[in-house]
Amino acid sequence: MVFISRYPDIPKFPVACGIAVLSLVGFNGCAPLEIAFRANELHVASLSQDSSGQQISESALRGQKLVEELFGTPDFPKWPDGVGPAVDMDKVSRAAGPVGRNESKIERGLYRKHCVQCHGTAGDGLGPASALLAPYPRDFRRGSFKFKSTPTGKKPTHADLVRTLENGLPGTAMPAFGTLKLSPEFEQDVDALAHYVRFLSIRGEVERKVISAIVHDELDGDTPIQMATLVAANWIAADSHALQPPTINIPGSDQERTASIERGKSIFLSELTACSKCHGTAGDGKGTSQDFDEWTKDWTIRAGIDPAKKAEWKAMKKYGALKPVIDSARNLTFGALRGGTTREDIYRRIVLGIEGSPMPAIARKENGNPGVTEEGIHDLVEYIYFISGLESHGGSQVNGMSKGEYHASNH
Amino acid sequence: MHPTTEATSKWVYLWARLVTVLTFPLIWLGGLVTTHDAGMAVPDWPGTFGYNLFLYPISTWLFGPFDLFVEHGHRLLASVVGLFAIGLCVIAYRTEGRRWVVATCFAFLAAIIAQGVLGGVRVLFDARTLAMIHGCSGPMVFALGGFIAMVSSPRWQFATSNRTGRKVGAIGFVAILLFLLSIAQLFVGAHLRHSLPTWLPIFFMSLVHTHLLMATLILVAILALAYLVRSPSNRVSTELRSPSNALIAIVVVQVLLGFATWIANYATPWIELTPWLARYTVQGKGYWESMIVTGHQATGSLLILASLWMVCRAYRKNALAETSQASNLKLDPYVQRKHQPEAVSVGIE
Repeated sequence: MVFISRYPDIPKFPVACGIAVLSLVGFNGCAPLEIAFRANELHVASLSQDSSGQQISESALRGQKLVEELFGTPDFPKWPDGVGPAVDMDKVSRAAGPVGRNESKIERGLYRKHCVQCHGTAGDGLGPASALLAPYPRDFRRGSFKFKSTPTGKKPTHADLVRTLENGLPGTAMPAFGTLKLSPEFEQDVDALAHYVRFLSIRGEVERKVISAIVHDELDGDTPIQMATLVAANWIAADSHALQPPTINIPGSDQERTASIERGKSIFLSELTACSKCHGTAGDGKGTSQDFDEWTKDWTIRAGIDPAKKAEWKAMKKYGALKPVIDSARNLTFGALRGGTTREDIYRRIVLGIEGSPMPAIARKENGNPGVTEEGIHDLVEYIYFISGLESHGGSQVNGMSKGEYHASNH
Repeated sequence: MHPTTEATSKWVYLWARLVTVLTFPLIWLGGLVTTHDAGMAVPDWPGTFGYNLFLYPISTWLFGPFDLFVEHGHRLLASVVGLFAIGLCVIAYRTEGRRWVVATCFAFLAAIIAQGVLGGVRVLFDARTLAMIHGCSGPMVFALGGFIAMVSSPRWQFATSNRTGRKVGAIGFVAILLFLLSIAQLFVGAHLRHSLPTWLPIFFMSLVHTHLLMATLILVAILALAYLVRSPSNRVSTELRSPSNALIAIVVVQVLLGFATWIANYATPWIELTPWLARYTVQGKGYWESMIVTGHQATGSLLILASLWMVCRAYRKNALAETSQASNLKLDPYVQRKHQPEAVSVGIE
């Protein structure tokens, strides 16, 4: 500052601005951004831990190149010839590529505009912001999705993906894009994004299978296209596995409803369902379970790594692994049910479970097997609906009692 | 008549204030462009979809897609600011006696033109890095406009309150530190806003931690300044309290907006704190989310301007203190040098 007071004639600020801008250019570079699908090194590493870092990179890169021949690049996606049409490529092209409008004012790059910051270019859940989020953004490449209407092991329907995109997931970084539909120019965006998520998931799952074949030395010339056909077929068949929940009758009187809630509560606390083991006896999420999700187990437990021991898992960080985090059970009393807040949504979650998480599908009483009857499931739905306070977020009344009073009188 | 009135112009002051006030909504609109990722909503430049910038149909602009509305509006407002900056140069050239102020006005115009060209090149090359630089340099151009207003103001020229001829001590050092920190914070914030899909999570995480650390340092510096300008040794320096008060108000708003920005973008990892946080669903490109995020960026520009205000006042007081000690006059050192070369030479040395 002595300099400034001594030489008032020199315009210092523009000079400082110039230096700052030049340093930014130097720091970031000005070359056009070339974006590629990041190779899945983590999957290679989890399948072949004994390999050197260079071998892992080479195998991952080889898998990436083989898949690129089928599915193209982030800027120019394509669909493999001869594989069933599991996605609408016009919509995929609209969602892919750099953000912007062309000369005809048609927008593209929707995925980079709305999703890439968290889910990453390849849909690997490794976007720039991913490590700071709780829960971590979904890695689409396993082909597993949590909130869907199909059983565990089956792909979600297109409507399931659209529902999550429109409604978002409360308490997470997953936004709701439903408002986009209010504007004529954006109303097709959600549909295009859902198609691109399907595309990324198929591409990523094929890559995993190709990598597995590379690591196990089972790769031949037709392997990638065969795998693409198989994965795409699973997505095409998703609609046929969708569960249509029955109409859940709301108990007519307060007495009937209280009785239903009481029965549901006893099911919630029973050994048979073990709901309270994770969700706590009051449904507040304070159970004793300390489990990890399947995305974490994929590269830890299944690869012989203890996710609770940093000394073991930190070697995988260089391949893109994020710190393993316990998949906590939801505090049901907050009313923040990510799979949806209607009785039908709760029914789906109970009957189908949440794929990839420790939340299992309920054991149903059928064919002589022990489990919960259909009526019992309805009672459980009523109990969860009640403790979630979904009618008025804490103001629901049963027999003149609010949710809190009900709990106080029952514990 | 006071000697300085012959060399300075109140019109420069008024016009510079006007241009600076106009530049703030431009910064805000630029922030909205980033928030809505609308930088490429218009693929050509300097025209808009083949039209001359000023002849683009107003109905298509106002009632077309929102991203196009924001981007084209940003360009139009930038043009208006550019025209006002030309006016500032004309006024300064004709009425301002201090050469360095006139030069700074021309530098301001050059900076605005450069900023416009940078924004245009960003479009032509679809270069996100250039968008980031454009976002960094925008607030600095805004601060430069504010700087011209500051040095043209009557307070700057007469500075009658420094009657004691006392220096401001550590205030100047802390103020310049705060100014540099604010600019560095702007750079880090711009990186977070323009993050590239190719970045590794660890890099983004490091930037966030750096942003938080620097926010803490900025807060400490502002609190230190608040204490120093009110300390017994500086009680007479009442004109330092205005920038200090502004800084306190800005930093309070900025910290709140910072937390809100994170929640508006990514929700919060501590959903168990309250049912509201657990139930909150981020609205993708929602109105309030956009306003909060853009407001955080725009308030950052105000922070830079206010810290520059503090720097200017502190160092002006120091310069005048040296001058008054040497010549017992309270005049602009430049004007003083013009009229009394020997006396000012002693004062500045």
